[in-house]
Amino acid sequence: MIETVHLRKEFGTKVAVHDLNLTVPLGRVTGLLGLNGAGKTTTIKILATLLRQTSGTVSVGGLDPVRQPRAVRRRINLIAGGERMVYARMTGRENLWYFGQLYDVPGRVLRPRVAELLDLVGLAEAADTRVERYSRGMAQRLSIARGLVNDPDYLLLDEPTLGLDAPIARDLRRVVAALAERGKGVLLTSHYLAEVEQLCAHVYVIGDGRHLAEGTPAELVAQSGCHRTVRVAVVELTPRVEAAARAFAPAVRIAPGGVVELSGPGDVAGALTSTIIEAGGALKGLEIAEPTLEDAILALNDRPAAVIA
Amino acid sequence: MVVAWATLRRSWLVTRRAYPWSYFIGTLLLGVFTMGVAYLGLRAIAGDQVSAEFAGRAGTADYLGYIAVGATAYMFVVHGILWIGKALIQEQREGTMGALVVAPARRLPYLLGFAAFAFTAVALEVAVLLGFALLLGVRPTATGAVDAVLAVAALALAVFGMSVVLSNVMIVAGEAHITQNTVFQAMAVLSGFTFPRDYLPEALRWLGELIPITAAMDVIRGVFTAGTGLDPARLGVAALIGFGYAAAGLLTMPWAERRAMERSF
Ligand SMILES: Nc1ncnc2c1ncn2[C@@H]1O[C@H](COP(=O)(O)OP(=O)(O)OP(=O)(O)O)[C@@H](O)[C@H]1O
Ligand SMILES: [Mg+2]
Repeated sequence: MIETVHLRKEFGTKVAVHDLNLTVPLGRVTGLLGLNGAGKTTTIKILATLLRQTSGTVSVGGLDPVRQPRAVRRRINLIAGGERMVYARMTGRENLWYFGQLYDVPGRVLRPRVAELLDLVGLAEAADTRVERYSRGMAQRLSIARGLVNDPDYLLLDEPTLGLDAPIARDLRRVVAALAERGKGVLLTSHYLAEVEQLCAHVYVIGDGRHLAEGTPAELVAQSGCHRTVRVAVVELTPRVEAAARAFAPAVRIAPGGVVELSGPGDVAGALTSTIIEAGGALKGLEIAEPTLEDAILALNDRPAAVIA
Repeated sequence: MVVAWATLRRSWLVTRRAYPWSYFIGTLLLGVFTMGVAYLGLRAIAGDQVSAEFAGRAGTADYLGYIAVGATAYMFVVHGILWIGKALIQEQREGTMGALVVAPARRLPYLLGFAAFAFTAVALEVAVLLGFALLLGVRPTATGAVDAVLAVAALALAVFGMSVVLSNVMIVAGEAHITQNTVFQAMAVLSGFTFPRDYLPEALRWLGELIPITAAMDVIRGVFTAGTGLDPARLGVAALIGFGYAAAGLLTMPWAERRAMERSF
């Protein structure tokens, strides 16, 4: 597994990462979430041996990236969305061939692997077209294939679906899930929280380089103190219905158009609708909105770290 | 060495696509122009007369031959540095540096791949330039085949060492233009390409010694211009400084790459 202990990174006087303890085990996708500037990319670059931490230790499968960078590089790879990371003047196939050489992948392994990867990212047809003629999404898919060319044990993904079309992003999520199932350790940062919710078994939330919270997406939502919201739409908002709803809970909000809305812990949907019906209201609709990871992240970032820890 | 070979092949693929013939023609024109000016200058202004002082300092009275060797060597050096020394900053500009650095390949074979390509391309340019010199009546001479090979090897090593160091400077500064032009200007004045270094004040002569190209050029001059043969002392200095630059550059490269990685992937 990848493990950081008291990881800290300073850029001059700016502290980008404060005392971060992180574990990325094999066989699952671990999420790293935070708002812009939280320190996600900096952390990933340190794990990838591209940067060196100011203090703290990092271990990648028992290896130290500072002392054994080349051994670490053989076992990891990095895919950063929004960065091309492939050669524009070479074709997709030539790119993968060249990177295969940089990883010293033997020819008899490399040849089928390149074909397989091109297939995996849907570039088999464009394999012999130069990257400068690729669309943005195609170039990014090639860069994903590049990230797999050494069959890494650990894959570091920094916003890999940035700017990809929905179907392609969905295919990539399938690939990532399958890699974790095959035993790879994946660290994923993404601004698409639905993606994180779907893929990640464990999520770290950081803000301003500090650890804010961690857990499964469901645990994070619970920790964040966000509640589900019940919305009951009535056909006609009579004064009697309104009074009954307000009496039900002081936190009830009544929106124009006759929507009674209540957020809170526990399951109040049944009791609230019964109350409205008993007061003579006729229901037009009922919606129960579960809090999302997005609500949780925003809520977590509004609080000082100490409160959450 | 797999990496060196792969990088050589990559350079070939990319160059074939990126720089059509106009590139070679453009670079050749520079050398041709330099020699043409020297030729006209000699004919029109100096009236075919080279001063005894020049002959004494250059070790030859053949001014055109002197310029031909200087212009050819200068092209060899400048183009070598442009290919090898700019390889990494080119990766940075293309956005591929992160992908390169995150791979386990060593930088020495990578740069040797570029060097192999560079020196092949430059050899072609040198051949064409010397052909032009022949047309102007220059008769290139060397004091011996072994001398010639060793002198060119010393210059190639100096170019490589210089390129490795410049590579670091460029990726740390995130800039190539100012760096390369400063170095090219300094070399043109200090390293004995266009006039004998004896004309320089002593302080500048010593400054020139900091450039690994300078000692190698002294060796080149002995073999190809003055006819005094291989100067073992200068060859030793050239080899020492050339290897020193290459080693120092390769050892500090991981640091330079991390500095570059702070800015982008
Ligand atoms: N080279 C650098 N020099 C100075 N400050 C830096 C440098 N790189 C990053 N930072 C700062 O460190 C902090 C963390 O940056 P980082 O890129 O890791 O954030 P991030 O979580 O990836 O953000 P985003 O979601 O925008 O990608 C930011 O405040 C950033 O300005
Ligand atoms: Mg980032």
